[in-house]
Amino acid sequence: MSQSFILRNEERGHDLIKSDGSRSSYIAGHPDGFVTRASSFNFHEYQGGRPGFGTIRVFGDEVFHGAGCGYNMHPHHNFAICAFVFGGQLTHVNTAGEGMVDQLRAGDYYVFSAGSGGKHSELSITTEDMQAIYLWVMPEQLYLPPAYHRGHFDFRRRRNEIVMLVGDGDGALPIPQDLRVSRLIADRGRSFRYAPRTASHGAYVFVREGRIGCAGEELGYRDSMGLSGVAAVDIDILDDDSDILIVETIMIDEANIKTWESEHAGH
Amino acid sequence: MADEPYKRLMCLGCGFSYDEMLGLPEHGIAPGTRWADIPDDWVCPDCGTPKHLFEMIVIGYATGGADMARNA
Repeated sequence: MSQSFILRNEERGHDLIKSDGSRSSYIAGHPDGFVTRASSFNFHEYQGGRPGFGTIRVFGDEVFHGAGCGYNMHPHHNFAICAFVFGGQLTHVNTAGEGMVDQLRAGDYYVFSAGSGGKHSELSITTEDMQAIYLWVMPEQLYLPPAYHRGHFDFRRRRNEIVMLVGDGDGALPIPQDLRVSRLIADRGRSFRYAPRTASHGAYVFVREGRIGCAGEELGYRDSMGLSGVAAVDIDILDDDSDILIVETIMIDEANIKTWESEHAGH
Repeated sequence: MADEPYKRLMCLGCGFSYDEMLGLPEHGIAPGTRWADIPDDWVCPDCGTPKHLFEMIVIGYATGGADMARNA
């Protein structure tokens, strides 16, 4: 059965988290630092929306404001966390395995599978604001060995094609889940077709910049759409330099999501 | 109740898992303790996320994972 939902920019959860008071142990950059976060799904204090989509639990569109801003060292387990950087510089310090320090700029991205645990810290240490999208994915198994991989999307060379960044494709970063993340930067007038692997896979289409037609609906800046049970998703580019992320995930049988959908039927 | 299969739950703040069969002996929760029997004001021992923001999951362990979950 095919299902879909549209989530407009302003319908997402919007948080502004300052590095002050008790929050300064969590948000770095005291006293001037603050993080803004738009959440597509319920996360932390935002609990008024959808619980998730397939194996996705967090889709956070974040900006670290001010030099030194970010997240101080905090623990993770099991979740596979992806970050896609669009502006500024992200310094990522990770204790998993041997530990590492990485720096990512526009086009760079990582997949950190927390597995049996570890801590990480994410900081913007330049004066430029750091813009990223964070994706948290339920893992295929619990307590896997932690793993970290990083990649780069060459947005000058890979224009007008759907490029798989994460998943089982050539050159894509591995993730311990039946999930693919693709990115498309394209010009007005172009059309693309994205075909999920099977009818049991859904696609979450997020417009970071620009405007598109998606399965017959118009999506603008930071609008998104989730589709499941469809053979293909038709994407028509309506503005130049449209920048789109597509997350394809196996649609697991999940009680919280089903309950939410039945309570919000027709929404 | 006793025949009900054991559940696993995952913290949506950090990914910490609670397995009813294993309990968390290091945190004073005996093996076999049902999720319903853990106080409502209990929080994730690693990140402080409240109990109600855990999600029931059906995900298996990687090799050796159950031992790590018991001693988390």
